[in-house]
Amino acid sequence: MDKMQNNNIWVGIKDLEQDPSFIEESGLETSLIEQIADSKNEEVFASNRRDFLKFLGFGLGAATIAAGCDIPVKRALPYVIKPDTIVPGIANYYASSYIDGGEFASILVKTRDGRPIKIEGNDLAPSGWGTTSARVQASVISLYDTNRLTGPQKSEAGNLSLTTWKDLDTKVKSALATASGIRILQISNTSPTAKKAQAEFIAKYPSAKVVNVDHSNYSGILDANLADFGSRMIPSYHFDKAEVIVSFDADFLGTWVMPTKFASDYAQMRKITDLSKAKMSRHIQVEAGMSLSGSNADNRILVKPSEQGVAVGHLYNLIVGGGAPVTGLNDKAKASLAKVASQLKNASGKSIVVSGSNIPAEQQMVNAINNTLGNYGTTIDTSNAILTKQGSEKDFDALLNEMKSGAVDVLIIDGANPVYSHAKGLQFAEALKKVKTKVAFGLSKDETNILCDFIATKPHFLESWGDAQPTSTTLSLVQPTIAPLFNSRQVESSYLTWSESPSTDIFEYIKATWAETAFKAQTDFATVDAFWDNALQLGVMSTIGGAAASFGGGTIDFSAVTKVSNAPLEISFKESISLGNGQYATNPWLQEMPNPIDRTSWGNYLAVPVNFDGDSSMVGLNGLKDGDLAKLTINGKEFTVPVIQQFGQMPGTVSINLGYGRTEAGACGTGLGISLIPFLTDNNGYAQNFSSKVQVSNKIGKEEEFSCVQYHHTYGVKGKDNDTGQMINADEAATVFFDYFTGIKGFQGSLTDRSVMYTSNLADIKANAAELDKKRKHAQYLNSKQIYGGHDDLYNNGHHWGMHIDLNACIGCGACTVACMSENNVPIVGKKEVSRHHEMTWLRIDRYYYGDVENPNTVYQPMMCQHCDNAPCENVCPVNATNHSSEGLNQMTYNRCIGTRYCANNCPYKVRRFNWFDYTTADSFPANQYKKFGEELTFGAENLTRMVLNPDVTVRSKGVIEKCSFCVQRIQEGKLTAKKEQRVLRDSDVKTACQTSCPTGAITFGDSNNKEGALHAKLELPLNFISLEEINVRSSVNYTMKVNNRDKSLDA
Amino acid sequence: MSAPVSPMRHVLVTGHKTYHQITEDLISPTEKTPPLAWVIGFIISATLLGVFVFTVGWTIYMGTGTWNLNRTIGWGWDITNFVWWVGIGHAGTLISAILLIFRQKWRTGVNRAAEAMTIFAVICAGQFPLIHMGRIWMAFFIFPYVNTRGPLWPNFNSPLLWDVFAISTYFTVSLLFWYTGLVPDFATVRDRAKGLRKKIYNFLSFGWTGSAKHWQRWESLSLILAGLSTPLVLSVHTIVSFDFATSIIPGWHTTIFPPYFVAGAIFSGFAMVQTLMLVTRKLLKLEDYITIEHIESMNKVILLTGTIVGVAYITELFIAWYSGYVYEQYAFFNRVFGPYWWSYFGMMFCNVLSPQLYWKKSWRRNLKLTFFLSIVINIGMWFERFVIIATTLARDYIPSSWSYYSPSWVEIGIFIGSIGLFFTCYLIFSRVAPVVAVAEIKSILKTSGDQYVGKNAIHHHDHGGKHEEVEASH
Repeated sequence: MDKMQNNNIWVGIKDLEQDPSFIEESGLETSLIEQIADSKNEEVFASNRRDFLKFLGFGLGAATIAAGCDIPVKRALPYVIKPDTIVPGIANYYASSYIDGGEFASILVKTRDGRPIKIEGNDLAPSGWGTTSARVQASVISLYDTNRLTGPQKSEAGNLSLTTWKDLDTKVKSALATASGIRILQISNTSPTAKKAQAEFIAKYPSAKVVNVDHSNYSGILDANLADFGSRMIPSYHFDKAEVIVSFDADFLGTWVMPTKFASDYAQMRKITDLSKAKMSRHIQVEAGMSLSGSNADNRILVKPSEQGVAVGHLYNLIVGGGAPVTGLNDKAKASLAKVASQLKNASGKSIVVSGSNIPAEQQMVNAINNTLGNYGTTIDTSNAILTKQGSEKDFDALLNEMKSGAVDVLIIDGANPVYSHAKGLQFAEALKKVKTKVAFGLSKDETNILCDFIATKPHFLESWGDAQPTSTTLSLVQPTIAPLFNSRQVESSYLTWSESPSTDIFEYIKATWAETAFKAQTDFATVDAFWDNALQLGVMSTIGGAAASFGGGTIDFSAVTKVSNAPLEISFKESISLGNGQYATNPWLQEMPNPIDRTSWGNYLAVPVNFDGDSSMVGLNGLKDGDLAKLTINGKEFTVPVIQQFGQMPGTVSINLGYGRTEAGACGTGLGISLIPFLTDNNGYAQNFSSKVQVSNKIGKEEEFSCVQYHHTYGVKGKDNDTGQMINADEAATVFFDYFTGIKGFQGSLTDRSVMYTSNLADIKANAAELDKKRKHAQYLNSKQIYGGHDDLYNNGHHWGMHIDLNACIGCGACTVACMSENNVPIVGKKEVSRHHEMTWLRIDRYYYGDVENPNTVYQPMMCQHCDNAPCENVCPVNATNHSSEGLNQMTYNRCIGTRYCANNCPYKVRRFNWFDYTTADSFPANQYKKFGEELTFGAENLTRMVLNPDVTVRSKGVIEKCSFCVQRIQEGKLTAKKEQRVLRDSDVKTACQTSCPTGAITFGDSNNKEGALHAKLELPLNFISLEEINVRSSVNYTMKVNNRDKSLDA
Repeated sequence: MSAPVSPMRHVLVTGHKTYHQITEDLISPTEKTPPLAWVIGFIISATLLGVFVFTVGWTIYMGTGTWNLNRTIGWGWDITNFVWWVGIGHAGTLISAILLIFRQKWRTGVNRAAEAMTIFAVICAGQFPLIHMGRIWMAFFIFPYVNTRGPLWPNFNSPLLWDVFAISTYFTVSLLFWYTGLVPDFATVRDRAKGLRKKIYNFLSFGWTGSAKHWQRWESLSLILAGLSTPLVLSVHTIVSFDFATSIIPGWHTTIFPPYFVAGAIFSGFAMVQTLMLVTRKLLKLEDYITIEHIESMNKVILLTGTIVGVAYITELFIAWYSGYVYEQYAFFNRVFGPYWWSYFGMMFCNVLSPQLYWKKSWRRNLKLTFFLSIVINIGMWFERFVIIATTLARDYIPSSWSYYSPSWVEIGIFIGSIGLFFTCYLIFSRVAPVVAVAEIKSILKTSGDQYVGKNAIHHHDHGGKHEEVEASH
């Protein structure tokens, strides 16, 4: 690492240096680099801060010279916003696409001074495609991952070492030339160009075959659709058109297929703008463990993982009629599903039923239900098929058998990591030994590629050219936003090189591909160049509509439906919202981001069911409490896992996230938590995310680093009192730790009567709105009695920044949290520090359960600095380090802060964050920066990682307080824009990072004094409230009351 | 002030002391080789002081993150210790100033040590606002010094800034008061010393000659300083309580805090005086000067202030309920029944219940019980500050942010170390200055010496003694 830090910090230069033609052209590099660097010590040729701008200038200059001399115009990339040269201090945005492991988002990449530093959604993308998730937001830091391979690798006696491309190509080509069985194992790839390059490769080596896999398995639904529609695809779901949504364990808001797009659509049906016509979709989630979708659902019907099949079957019998097995389905679910069936029938053509099942028969039943309900063509669109998931478990199993039999001579692996991420990973690792030549494309080492003979290091997608076809009617481009940091080569180039294609230049290759296909399919542009420039600027385009596939109704093999297990305990394995199935474990932002459901980070926790004991405590399974260690036995194998009590978890089930327990995932992913992928069960070759062979012990210890950011989960859940039999506020009873033999069961109202947030059922919305209004009026009356005049005169003039957050739109996905970290240089503190509640997130999403303690509803409340006009933090700071701007911003002056933390104590919203340590190495004591508490180096202290820092935002040092600034740097930028254009500032000029990242549009930022602005309109909405209004801190953030559309009759 | 000697007076000096004997008894500890107990005590104290230096250094070097405070609980043991030490520092001024004005003669036996204790306690207290800062190297920002940044002044609205002025003023006045009292005693030490020691004490006593003019000026200055200090007794802890009372956090935002804090401070201060005096009188054999009468008088103050504090606790609970405000109600409910119930229980037991034993006269005069309870009360008063600070912060408005706090080894080290700092100072003090005010004891000998008053008094008419008393009290 040291070596890399010293030599390769501006590796773009090095890369250029190594380009022989470039060296010939200029012949100046080495001497120039020496001239511009401050560091004269050649051995330690470290870049420092001063060098950065010099390098930057040099880099730009060199690129310009190079471009001017010979290298074609391809490096003068088109701009989306400012078609001009790079201006230092001004960000450039490039339209591109986020494609990673079968996920897609149309994005804009913000680059500053040649460095990509932030991902934004692409506004020009068709609805829902230009929105981002936490994973998309976090992808930019993986560009600067210190674990990335610095060049092509070859393996000698099991050890990987650097090699040259020439050497690698020679050896691979000779292996290919003699091979009789070539296989390509890849994560589903939708890129037309990559397919074309692959086709050339296959033409050259006819024994080559492609096997697609996905990080999570979608074989079941794909094969079901193949049977029913004749096409192996997943149709587009339009949750914005669905009035009734029934999901059988499909976490379509969190992880399933296209969660970001689905969330964007889903939220359209959840927002309430008019009380008199209040209407929202009803979302019913059938599941055991709490998923992100389940937490947003109005009703949850609890069934064990093994009951999923018969639950679908029951609905199938009720709607389509006949045949499906229902043995073993619990009576409560049966009764509830009967009511659901009638609601679905009433919403024919306006409903969606989805299932996360990986069994074709079950998915075919779901298809039949949707077909009977008339949902195809209305809410489900088969003409615009989602192509990002194409994996086939059957193909994988066939490949595995071929490998075992020695029929595979050369195996090329792209993106897949089956040794870790496949249930048969161990077998795969064993079978790999029988493959003569194994070549992997990889960014960094993983469990699979370290077993290969060669790693053809590939560039990060932000360094690559590429394209994608996420759906059958959408085409999208990927363009590089920085010169490759390391000696990497694109996968397509490798295929072309190995197939000895005349063209290995990937840029020309893609352009040619598009000229043949997309260009010809349009009429707007006459020349290829004009078309290409436009396409690059837009980043994404819709092609002509695809043809709808009609429902053919393949025969359903009911015998394949999961048999209900009668084991006392079942475990479900869930894809992690942040880490997926482990593919994002190397990303520190995603590790640091608390899991939306259980609010834990840096590890996986066993979610155990919890219930109120009728007296004064919440009792988890086997008496387990948050942060206890328990022994988890699956299939006879024992693990020690930390536990979290999960409200809404079905009794008799536990669940745990996948994606952890990686053994080769760099500094931040290795050795965290446990991997459960080997315990996925099998149903006729389809992997199942649950197991019935599970036991959980009693408490065996206490987790030392229980990195959960929220200890109190509930907001007044109700449970039955043992003594009186009445429903009491279980939550409040459980806050009593010792009652001195008084028998006191909580202080009733102490949690429910809080003014932090408000909830309502859709049916009671008018009464609750009136009640809220009364409360607000009373608070405002009290506040008017204050003896101080306040500064409203000042704040009513000019700009006054404010925010509106629609709790009905917020699904808690966490994209805003990561976007905020990315935009504002929020430090990553690591597991131990999070466990000590030292997390630094400026924006957190509070998650509360309310209602029935056994089957609660959930509310997510994004919480950041409220920029109070009567800010309690401001008047207690002894040195005026935090104060109020004339535009209503609560400002932090880091240089002035001496770190008394009084402001944090006095903040009613607890949003202020203190730099307990020198998390960013911005401190004046260099010795602090290393080996603190056993860590090699704090995350984000590496020079390479620091390239992701936003230069517009101060990096804070040890001992100062920080907090949300309402993205003041963006406000200033917006004001400048307006000023330059000599017009009044509009709300659209300034968008905060959380706002742009939100896939559901829950966050609106703007000038509350601007009567025409978007914010002002939102402030007029009914159901708005201000958190803790009565304490008269005059928060600038409005929330809406959380409304659920729970059908209480389903609970009966 | 020439009251006739009443047979009803309490005996405050026993052992039929003569003036010379008083000088011998009180000055000689500064002249002899220290006793073994002192040496052992000093080694322990200095070691703890070393712990203090190390843990503070560690905190500054590594960062405040070496403490277990977190995003919810920004103050813990640090500010608890601060308020605790400030509270302890209250007895000195009360004894010196208010009791002087009220002419309580029993103060003379204990005022010197109590004032010293005040100085050292305030020194200890003053450490914490500094070391709890994230950037102590920028601590000078809190002073309103002339600067070229605007100029940029500190925030005069902030109670922390008021603290700066309150504590520094209190420290300055207390130091002056203490030193003023020491001047004639240093002169007495000087008069018995030789060589360099004589020169040093001569310098320290500002060339005191004992002339009538000196005594007159000395008396005037003492009275002026007493007048200045009296409001400080009330103001310092009032302002410390503003750190909490002016905040917006339920459980802190309470108008009862100023009187409640002042009473608590006097309570804990007297308890600490008891702890120190009982040890000092034993070690330095000062039983004739620090008598049971003294102990009992202080126990009465402890009983009174302890009960006041108890009333304050109950009042808080009542007002919380009466407010009808859910956060206020929950804050106090949580204090009593929440995760920190043990600290609330400890506080109630130590501060409210235990002093009630002093309703019985014989228990007030029981030295062992007094010593034990003085420790208990100081623990209780530490708990009180911990209850107010940590339990309040741990669970306030937003349930999602509720947290729990227990100290790290660094915080424990700093607290224990601060006790080392205190005792190191006190032990050095006991070697270089008379721990009982010699001149002041002499001034009450004729009115409170056991040969003059009480049942053992020698019944003869000593007019001369009376005259002397009249003189001394001028």
